[in-house]
Formats: sequence, C-alpha cells, structure tokens
Amino acid sequence: MISEMINKKLNKNSEAVFSADFKNLEKIRDFVKQFALKNGFNEEVSDKIALAVDEACTNLIRYSFNFDNNQKIKISVQTDDRFFIVNIFDEGKPFNPLDVPKPDMNEYILNFKKGGLGIYLIRSVMDEIGYLPSNENNPQNTLTLKKLLA
Amino acid sequence: MSAKNKFNVSQNEIDGINILSLSGFLDAHTAPILEDKISNIIKNGNNKILINFSDLDYISSAGLGVFMAFIEELRQSGGDIKMAAMKPKVFTIFDLLGFPLLFDIEKTEQEALLKFKSSK
Repeated sequence: MISEMINKKLNKNSEAVFSADFKNLEKIRDFVKQFALKNGFNEEVSDKIALAVDEACTNLIRYSFNFDNNQKIKISVQTDDRFFIVNIFDEGKPFNPLDVPKPDMNEYILNFKKGGLGIYLIRSVMDEIGYLPSNENNPQNTLTLKKLLA
Repeated sequence: MSAKNKFNVSQNEIDGINILSLSGFLDAHTAPILEDKISNIIKNGNNKILINFSDLDYISSAGLGVFMAFIEELRQSGGDIKMAAMKPKVFTIFDLLGFPLLFDIEKTEQEALLKFKSSK
C-alpha cells in the first residue's frame, strides 16, 4: 500500500535537465509527451503540449542563451487537481514571452514577417502561461505552461 | 542514433518543378538543412518548389519560418512553394497559424503539380 502510494507520487512529478542545444529538442519533446500520455491526454493533445515546450526551449536557446551550449534547461512536469503543469527553468537572460505582443495573424500573413510564431503557438495550445524572472533569492527564470487535464 | 538521421530531404525535378520530400522531424535543429536545400534551388535559378510532407511527423515554428523566409521572394519572381500530402498532425500546426490562407496546400503531390502547370 505504501509503496503503491510512493509509485503514484513518483508518477505525478518528474524532472530532467538538458544541455541548451537544438539537438536535444527531440529528447525534450519525448520527455514531455510521455508524461502527458501517462496523464490521460490523447496523442494529439500530447503532441501539442510537446510543441509548446519545444517552442519555449527554442526561444531560450536562441534569445536567452544566445546559442551557448554550456547552459542548461531544467524541465519539471507535474499535475495538480486541474492542470498538467510544465515548468521550464533557466539561468539565462530573462525573457518574458508574455511581453511579446500578440500578432494580428492576418496582418502577419500579409507582411510575411519572420519570427514570433513560436510564442503564438504556445499561446494557442496551452491554457495558462506564467513567467517568473530570476531575483536576488532565486537565480532561475521560470516559465510555467498549464493545460487543463483531460 | 544521430539526431541528424531524424530528418531527411530527398529532391527530384519534374518539368522544372523541384520536389522536396521531407521525412522525420522538422524543428530548430533540422530546419537549416531545409533552408540550405531551398536556398540552393533558388541559386540555381529555379523558383517552383513543391514540398511533399507525406513522411514528415513533426513541424515547429522553426520549420514554418523556413517557408516564410522564401515565399515572398519566390512569388515575386513568378514562382511559388506549393505543399502536399500533410499528415493531420502537421496540418493542424499550419492551421493554428492560419497558414492555409497563405500557402497552397493540396491533398496529393499530383494535385500540387497540376496546380503549378495550370498557373503557367
């Protein structure tokens, strides 16, 4: 009984650390997707959650770390009563995706501009997004992506 | 296995139309491979590109950005990028961004080829 409870608990929370390198994006997506599937999301929604995390990590590597492969990205996945929650921790330059203006997609398409699509995708597929920049007590920036449990 | 094997582009040409068939995962890691291929086609003076997506399993905004980067230049020279045979999970991402308004996306490679021929 106790071991069962421990197993259940372990299944509810998991974390992994990845080098900040585009070649790890596939591993990052797999890590998140497997956990989403375990928590009752279907293939399609699990893929979308993995996409949101890929987009967030791509932005970190490009903008916050400026392609410095020595940097690390820590990802934790967990659930509460309502949400599947992914936290993405980094020690790069703070970059709050919520500060990026929502593009008007019609105008965007007409202008054929490049960039900014990743954040639009994150907003489209996740239900809640939060960002906590580093401070004197905590050196890590935290991006929180939430999806209502199925 | 090297992550490089997870994305592949094969190329052939029919009646002056360059067909790029994609397989695997198109993300920020693999997008430069596709960017190079399209860049080379344009350098060689060609402007009609058909992308066959039938074996592509994943696309992120980095992959979408490659098409965005070239479409304007190609259309200005009278060419285009037409797309065909997307799996539903890939089409979903195009759809989220409203890209079906921007790109000609056909069910089959044959239909996309015909679109090029009828627009001559």
